[in-house]
Amino acid sequence: MSQNRREFLKTIAAIGASTAAISSVTPKKTIAKTEPFLSEDRKGVLVDTTVCIGCRKCEWACKGAHGFEQGDFENYQNDEILNVQRRPSTNNLTVVNKYIDEGTRTVKMQCMHCEHPACVSACIVGAISKKENGSVVWDTDMCIGCRYCMVACPFQIPAFEYYKALDPKIVKCDFCIERTSEGKLPACVNICPVEALTYGTRNELIDEAKRRIKNHPDKYFDHVFGEYEVGGTSWLYLADKNLAGNVFPKLGNNTAPGVSESIQHGIFAYFVPPIAVYALLGGIMWLTKEKETKKENK
Amino acid sequence: MRIQYIFSLIFFAFISVSYGQIENLKTHTQMNLDCKKCHICDTPTKANPCLILCPRNKLKVVRHLPEEGPENLTIDKISSDEDLYGPVNFTHKLHSEMSLMSGGCSICHHFNPPGKIVKCSHCHETARDRKDKTKPDLKAAFHRQCMDCHKSWEEKTECESCHSLNSKKIESTVKIKAEKVHPEVKIPQRVIYETDYDEGSVVTYFHNDHSSLFNLECSDCHDQESCANCHAEIRLESIKADPHERCSTCHDTENNCNKCHKSEIARPFDHKIKTGFDIATYHSDLSCAECHKTQNKFSGLKPDCVVCHSTSDGYFNHSITGIKLDETHVEFYCENCHQDKDYSRKPICNECHDDDISFPTSIPGERIK
Ligand code: SF4
Ligand code: SF4
Ligand code: SF4
Repeated sequence: MSQNRREFLKTIAAIGASTAAISSVTPKKTIAKTEPFLSEDRKGVLVDTTVCIGCRKCEWACKGAHGFEQGDFENYQNDEILNVQRRPSTNNLTVVNKYIDEGTRTVKMQCMHCEHPACVSACIVGAISKKENGSVVWDTDMCIGCRYCMVACPFQIPAFEYYKALDPKIVKCDFCIERTSEGKLPACVNICPVEALTYGTRNELIDEAKRRIKNHPDKYFDHVFGEYEVGGTSWLYLADKNLAGNVFPKLGNNTAPGVSESIQHGIFAYFVPPIAVYALLGGIMWLTKEKETKKENK
Repeated sequence: MRIQYIFSLIFFAFISVSYGQIENLKTHTQMNLDCKKCHICDTPTKANPCLILCPRNKLKVVRHLPEEGPENLTIDKISSDEDLYGPVNFTHKLHSEMSLMSGGCSICHHFNPPGKIVKCSHCHETARDRKDKTKPDLKAAFHRQCMDCHKSWEEKTECESCHSLNSKKIESTVKIKAEKVHPEVKIPQRVIYETDYDEGSVVTYFHNDHSSLFNLECSDCHDQESCANCHAEIRLESIKADPHERCSTCHDTENNCNKCHKSEIARPFDHKIKTGFDIATYHSDLSCAECHKTQNKFSGLKPDCVVCHSTSDGYFNHSITGIKLDETHVEFYCENCHQDKDYSRKPICNECHDDDISFPTSIPGERIK
């Protein structure tokens, strides 16, 4: 169901984009620059899939840290579920899937906390934001449930509370912002029995990833996934095989926001009379302004 | 930041080495080692040993017998109130016995210099949130070490095979495990290989001859096995990529093909049929090398028979062979009759006698058996 709706939204978006091109409305392409506010010490996680044992303790801990129903602990021992290709959902912000392609590997997935997040650019009310420490978080109160972020996200991460009739929202991994602001490790990093997940500054993790590749060239595919993909991500992956095109979609190194913005502008250019666009833009400006004022007042 | 990092590394290296040096000062100097194996600089000192980081298998490693280590261990170094699982009772001796066939102590103790065994916690820190990200923390180090083998043959991640859930409040599963021993490994009598060698496609490998008669230890050949070779659902090919590799340690596999490659299944080795000398009665407990000069060339015999078979004045007691030498012959050196000290060949008489005298028609003494 969720897939269908997602596909539907994507199709609409694609039609919008192509129509926009046909009607020669030049979409405004914004190539995101390095966000000036991002800290040099912004955090990330290095996922070493060669040591992951697929125990799903990370899923269990993540649920616990976010107050979700964890279910029977022993069910996590059942590794058959690994064969089902799951996506993060509204009550499971991270999932571990098994991929078979010349050997097996288990890969944990969650929001990648992109350096230039498409979801942030796509959100018309500015509910999602990239924080100085690298995490991409959102404000439930501001989310209007439009699901643009779902379409925009190159990793298909944001999940939507379809089951809620009233006021459904978007949910995704929040990089355990509450825990990290208290000086704790993200719940998944903390529990992983084999330390397949290493938490640190993005820069030191890239160095460490390259050190591992250099020291064990027979063990690793020579690529740190997330170093450059879609302009870089906070979560970085090491594996014995190329993850692009198998575990992850094949993505260029260009930032995704440009793409998503053209989608948005395309839709509006074709379907909505200009006056409505101005009204909407005015609304957004007002909302953003209000947010900023709120911030300033804090 | 960087300086702190380097400092912690040096500090760490310092601790490990000063500790090691006190323990092994004697062995260290006696070791015939290239210093560069472990040290980066030209003149390592106690204060600045400049050790290479986690040298792993580049290092000179030591081997111990399984009996020298502890029988069982309880791994509870990293327990906290949040723990889901209880401590692990680790059957150390059992695992070290298995390691004999799969790479030795160093498959787990990868930092294994001569001297006292270095504890895992010596290098691997207990805190997950730490500066040095180049080594896994202690919990991860333990788990990776265990899972490396367990996952390869169980293909599962059943945490409870090693430690019980704290919520269940039982210890029994682990206790039983501590007493469990590996079931006896069935040694095959013989293995028949079909090969694509035209001039003799059948190779008959007498496993029992090699293991008992030739006194080889399992680990002499099986030193790189893994549990998965026997236990995995899909059995891995345990024989090395080139099947000759194992045999060529003793056999000349380059030139002597027909020694093993026959057109039909071969008969087991029988010392009496092959040489005429029955070893079954008195010599069956000896390894080949105890009598034969070189391990894989069984022609010449060592003159060591005197160790057991000597007369009161220290010479070989020839009567043991069934022939008591007469007064003349007893004065000769062995090689006067036994050419090249090869006792499996017929003795020669024509050095002194005419051609009409030869063994066994004529005997240099009296037959007593
Ligand atoms: S907890 Fe660690 S080892 Fe287990 S599935 Fe998650 S990432 Fe993999
Ligand atoms: S992975 Fe998707 S949801 Fe996460 S930051 Fe990137 S675009 Fe946004
Ligand atoms: S960082 Fe936190 S929210 Fe994200 S997957 Fe890990 S535990 Fe879940």
